[in-house]
Amino acid sequence: MKDIQKYAYPIFFAVMAVLPHLLDDRWQAVAITFLIFTVVALSQDIILGKSGMFNMGQALFFGMGAYTTAILNSQFGWPIIATIPVAILIPALCGVLLAGPIVHLRGDYLLVTTIGFNIVFVQVLQNNLGGVTGGPNGIFGLDSLSFFGTDLMSQISVYYFAFIVLLLTLWVMHNLAGSKAGRAMHYLREDQLAAESIGINTRVYKIFAFGLGAGIAGLAGTVFATQYSAVSPEAFEFIQSVLFFSIVLVGGSSVPGILLGVFVMFVLPEIFREFATWRYFVFGFAMIAAMILRPRGIWPATFGKIPKFLIKENNHGA
Amino acid sequence: MDIFLQQLANGLTIGSMYALVALGYTMVYGVMRLINFAHGDMVAASAFVGLTIYTQVMGESASLGAVVLIFLLSAGSMAVVGIILERVAYRPLREAPRLSAVVSALGASLVIQNGIMLIWGPRMRIFPELVPQVYWDLGGVVISLIQVIILLLSLVLMITLYLFVEKTRMGAAIRASSIDQDAARLMGINVNSVIALIFIIGSSLGAIGGLFIGLYYRGITFNMGWQYGLYAFIAAIIGGIGNIPGAMLGGMLLGLFNAFIAGYVSSTWSDAFTFILLILILIVRPTGILGERVAEKV
Repeated sequence: MKDIQKYAYPIFFAVMAVLPHLLDDRWQAVAITFLIFTVVALSQDIILGKSGMFNMGQALFFGMGAYTTAILNSQFGWPIIATIPVAILIPALCGVLLAGPIVHLRGDYLLVTTIGFNIVFVQVLQNNLGGVTGGPNGIFGLDSLSFFGTDLMSQISVYYFAFIVLLLTLWVMHNLAGSKAGRAMHYLREDQLAAESIGINTRVYKIFAFGLGAGIAGLAGTVFATQYSAVSPEAFEFIQSVLFFSIVLVGGSSVPGILLGVFVMFVLPEIFREFATWRYFVFGFAMIAAMILRPRGIWPATFGKIPKFLIKENNHGA
Repeated sequence: MDIFLQQLANGLTIGSMYALVALGYTMVYGVMRLINFAHGDMVAASAFVGLTIYTQVMGESASLGAVVLIFLLSAGSMAVVGIILERVAYRPLREAPRLSAVVSALGASLVIQNGIMLIWGPRMRIFPELVPQVYWDLGGVVISLIQVIILLLSLVLMITLYLFVEKTRMGAAIRASSIDQDAARLMGINVNSVIALIFIIGSSLGAIGGLFIGLYYRGITFNMGWQYGLYAFIAAIIGGIGNIPGAMLGGMLLGLFNAFIAGYVSSTWSDAFTFILLILILIVRPTGILGERVAEKV
């Protein structure tokens, strides 16, 4: 793990920093998608991987951020940059409000309830509640990114916007891992009863995890809306949440694992376009095989500096 | 009053289909503590298998014998798929972390759903008219022969299952395994064969539910499994997951609820109302209507 932080990360960041200049338009778009979905998967990881709550509705918060940006920009004429704080705050607030009454539910019940939130959200978008979501077609024709009067039209600037958001997310997660809240969430995931008995307010940290994960996903939503200068309901369907859920668990809830998962789920299909109809069929088998061969994920996360021999083999999130 | 009685009839029909599918979820969950996400897709697959048996094997004949045979063959093939599913995707993960099995189930669901798409194509297919279109007009309330058959056959199947689980030795083994697998094993129960049996029963009941969905709604699509599967799973949770009479009750309640929402409010918001009902029930009774109040095992 130390070696990775020392060598692999700087190389990865350096490659990602120069990448858009080496790619043509189509692959730049794929690279932006990769960055955005990595951020969403990382935000899902805060709730599912780090805190152990079975959340299968992450596309809801992602979509809420995207729609916040789209509505503020198209209806009220806010510049994209100005919508960012709101696009973080509204999903975060919703995460807190939605999680409040349900976090006490047992794992699988929580899973179904979050699926429910996701499906209701898409139905609200499609039925055009309040006349602002644009119904099944969504909202299109958003402004491009501009920064203090300079118009940043090109795809490369969207790429760097996405890249900065990813760096920011990684920085938040890195700090979280060493913080009091991060430790509390880790104990929560390992054993809720034990966490409670050493004085951790599990309810507060569960809701905190939802709020934080939702806020980051909302920020990713803003980038998504900027990339396509449009939003539509089908981008935030429940199947998307299933993919984020699977990426976190197949990846093993670690940063390299999640990067790998997003790459396999969203970039590989672009490379093998002629097999597009086989995409989910193959993924299904891959998910089963990955779980049978490596039940803890392809690249399991480690936490803190606990020596290996002290780690008890138990069922995470059971 | 007419709307009420009409929606009551529709609700009971839809409810019995939900109940049949919900039984598969609840039985698997009861013993393995696993949401079998692939179950809904097997329901969809059954409708397509039934369609193919009708056109290829039965030569498009809809005689009583042929229809019975279509039901038996579809149920049988889904039972085989269920056993394979359990062997390949779930058995190796029985000792693994809970979430690994969930991901494996999601993977199996994607495989079956997209397998249907690769075999039968992505477009909607029309399910054959296996039952003659007979309608009775009972003072403004229209009831079709299909509705009567679905309701009666579902009730017969559910009562049979209930008696099997409550009164036979195998049924006692199923109940014992769902209370405590390890203790059941110590009592000499072969838990592996109980699980295989559960997949056979659950999958064939789901298969019959899938054929009913085809008969009642006519249009079948490769991805309809998630829609019906999710509703059936919600029905199982409302009734108290793991509880067999609970699944029947939950299915009927959800079917009636959906029918009345469609009749009195609007069908464009049915998903929203269904999930609001689910969330309200879970807030009031976190383990469902007939579920026992148990703490999560630690």
